[in-house]
Amino acid sequence: MSTTELPDRQQTLERMRPRYMQVFLTFARNSLVRDMTFRMNFILQCFTSISWTVMNIGFYLIVFQFTKQIGVNTGWAQYQFFIFLATTWLINSLVQAFFMPNAQEFSELIRTGNLDFALVKPIDTQFLISFQKVDWAALSNFWMGIVLLSYSLWKLMTMPGDPLQLHPVVFLLYPVFIICGCLIMYSVMITLAATSIWLGRNQTLYNFWFYLTNFSRYPMEIYWSGWGWSLWGVFTFLVPVLVVINVPARLLAQPMNPRTPWELWLTGFALLATVLSLWISRAIFRRALLSYRSASS
Amino acid sequence: MGSEVQYQPGHSDGAEKNAGVWGLVQGKLSTWWTMMRIALEERLVYRGDFALGTLMRFLPIITQIFLWSAIFMARGDGTMEGQSIKGFTIHTMIAYYLLTMMGRAFSSMPGLSSGIAQQVRNGEIKKYLIQPVDMVGFLLLNRVAHKLVYYGVALLPFVLVFWLCGGYFSEHFHSSPASWPSGSRVAVFVLSLVLGFLLGFFMEVCIGLISFWFLEVTSLLFIYMLMNFFLSGHMFPLDLLPDTARMVVDWLPLKYLAYFPAAVFLGLVPDERLWYELAIEVAWVLFFILASRLMLARGLRRYSGFGG
Amino acid sequence: MPIIEITGLSKAYRVYEKQEGLLASIKGLFRRTYREVRAVQNVDLEVEGGEFVAFLGPNGAGKTTTLKLLSGVIHPTSGTATVLGHVPWKRENSYRRRFALVMGQKNQLWWDLPAQESFRLHQKIYQIEAGQYERTLDELTSLLGLKSLLKQPVRELSLGERMKMELTAALLHQPDVLFLDEPTIGLDVVAQHNIQQFLKHYQKERGITILLTSHYMKDVQALCQRVVIIAKGTIHFDGSLESIVDRATDHKLVTLQLAEGESLEGMERFGTLEKTDPPKVTLRVLREDVASVLSSVLDQRRVIDVVVEDPPLEEVLADIFTQVDKEDDEVA
Repeated sequence: MSTTELPDRQQTLERMRPRYMQVFLTFARNSLVRDMTFRMNFILQCFTSISWTVMNIGFYLIVFQFTKQIGVNTGWAQYQFFIFLATTWLINSLVQAFFMPNAQEFSELIRTGNLDFALVKPIDTQFLISFQKVDWAALSNFWMGIVLLSYSLWKLMTMPGDPLQLHPVVFLLYPVFIICGCLIMYSVMITLAATSIWLGRNQTLYNFWFYLTNFSRYPMEIYWSGWGWSLWGVFTFLVPVLVVINVPARLLAQPMNPRTPWELWLTGFALLATVLSLWISRAIFRRALLSYRSASS
Repeated sequence: MGSEVQYQPGHSDGAEKNAGVWGLVQGKLSTWWTMMRIALEERLVYRGDFALGTLMRFLPIITQIFLWSAIFMARGDGTMEGQSIKGFTIHTMIAYYLLTMMGRAFSSMPGLSSGIAQQVRNGEIKKYLIQPVDMVGFLLLNRVAHKLVYYGVALLPFVLVFWLCGGYFSEHFHSSPASWPSGSRVAVFVLSLVLGFLLGFFMEVCIGLISFWFLEVTSLLFIYMLMNFFLSGHMFPLDLLPDTARMVVDWLPLKYLAYFPAAVFLGLVPDERLWYELAIEVAWVLFFILASRLMLARGLRRYSGFGG
Repeated sequence: MPIIEITGLSKAYRVYEKQEGLLASIKGLFRRTYREVRAVQNVDLEVEGGEFVAFLGPNGAGKTTTLKLLSGVIHPTSGTATVLGHVPWKRENSYRRRFALVMGQKNQLWWDLPAQESFRLHQKIYQIEAGQYERTLDELTSLLGLKSLLKQPVRELSLGERMKMELTAALLHQPDVLFLDEPTIGLDVVAQHNIQQFLKHYQKERGITILLTSHYMKDVQALCQRVVIIAKGTIHFDGSLESIVDRATDHKLVTLQLAEGESLEGMERFGTLEKTDPPKVTLRVLREDVASVLSSVLDQRRVIDVVVEDPPLEEVLADIFTQVDKEDDEVA
């Protein structure tokens, strides 16, 4: 066969579009196979993650010995707060499983120059580097989240006196906003990772991510005082991490009636924030790729 | 020859022993100085980075402030005045967390256990069979140098944060039965920090040395880290634990890593118990020093039994 | 119609003072000192389909940079290039599907998994139809002798085996253009030879266009008809191997094996003594003098064996490079 390729082949090649789902499934499968070859490590990591969640519950069980609610008249009593906690685990475990390993890998790719290989593949580079590794052990927290969520909901719905009543549509909206939360976290993560093209590999940057997301793990009401308001402003409008867990958690944990207008507004804002975050982070990523120097041989 | 005195205590006469010890001390001092200098240089390159990192470490305190304020407010139905949980007011709580940061700065040993385990795993440990260097002593000096440098550079951020939060301390001492710590109490505080350093060090060394017998020490390390976080007082003051749990945790050495120094400074430990607790802490330190010596000797012997 | 057309391609880097630590790096974003490195300067090149071209040059010459520009990994500072009708740095998927990049000593296969898992991933990414994939994989693994190694984790393979796997991965989607950056570096002689034979065979069979950069003369001699010599970012020579040697040197090496009893004394009269290894001696002789030297020697000594050959290619290249350096210094 000579190089003057058959026009058919050229046509086919030019017109093909990448099959993202198939590639992602292969990534997931490969990661699973790999994790299973290090079985001991896998089990260990599951055990560790679950232990962390148990400790967390332990801490809050202790806290609720001393108070009925967190924050004055916020509605975050024990089981409502547990719903919040469960939501934290759901979102964080998803981010930890699907995005974290890739963010760390990205700076390695840049350092070794192996990013070159990603750049020559006929598939979107951001997709490739965002999904190539899956940390399956991190999903153990997801199941813990489900368990805690179910238990808390059951407790609230069977409470004598004022049982929680949820409109069925809420159960549809909850996963949607979980995904929105994950996507916002992803955007922050990819932005930070992209800066490593300019700033080089840096542990401080990674720690920064951790401290940043730390603010998102509590109901936003706790920031509603004094100078906390400015923090609330920054983390709602500038880097919208506060929206990530608060919005889906409120959907389930706070009473349906009366739904104050600001809550609806917040929910809508969450959607907007997701779209904007994704868009801005992608722009930053693409800009970063333009500056990519590639390691010298 | 003098430096081998360490391993063969019965084999040299008195004079030679003394010369050996002096030579040992001199050698140790110069090594110490060199390591210090290298660590310092290394650190100074990253000093801006370092200062930033140290400041960032205080960020979780901010969320703790908000969280506990919310808890106390809820308790007091809109006000934190006079609210206290097991003797902790909001001010005590924040002061406590800040002090545990200090305790942790002394007692945390990142990379120590895993470093030892790695050396055992890849055979680097062999050099301690051949060279007359005491591995644990070497690691200890290394850590001292590292911590000194750490405090040298991190001092500014620490001072800054404590100055900014001075109000919490004064409020706490204003409202609690205890007062600003006296000279002797401060001395005990400093002592507890130093002992905390030694305790944390030797505990992690022991865990690392387990790798002579069980290669996969990382599992143990995870469990240790977990328990450390929860039971050392890092996550919350141990006073909050229900009574039975508190009694059990009191017997563990973990509380000295974060809880104890903070409690001493804040006056939460009554004068009578101060020296008693300190003595127990010293006992724990000695226990782990002994354990580490034993494990090292046994481990090296076992190790040299394998291979060439 | 040339497959690869490069006009006035240039790539310049600003090399900044290295900033250590995050804070310093951030400060460095606002103000820093730098020097400019011209990796590639005004390169013009045309490659027809089916050619096997080697880029030769010292380290830092710009060979790898050129390959990276052509594969779209980096953007040029100025100039144009088209490969298969595409502009490489636009990174269009339709272009990326038609070429492959292999870099020596860099591994793109998953480390802990068997190679065949990585291949399967390739299949999905390049959307190779199942039957075609099986056939191509079969063919490549037979040619390279990898059949038994497919199920082993990549980290357990030797360097040579890993390189062969990399080549397999690169050729699975049957690219029309192949960029090879020092593919045999660090490999043992046998592995080098295997890979050279494979590339030669494959290129002849498929007629694909291959651009290869290498330090090793053996690679070049075994594989390429056309050699492009790059130094300091510019092309200094573009032609066949023989013409390099012809142009660059004016001597030959004459190795004589003298008969027993013959002394090697006085051989310097015939030419520069290159090497003495009794009973052999090697002389460096000007081309036009070879015939006369030979007849004189044969007259005066008893000779068992004579070999007349070109100076080794490495030497030729080294000469060219030092000359280039001198020229550059003069210009600067």
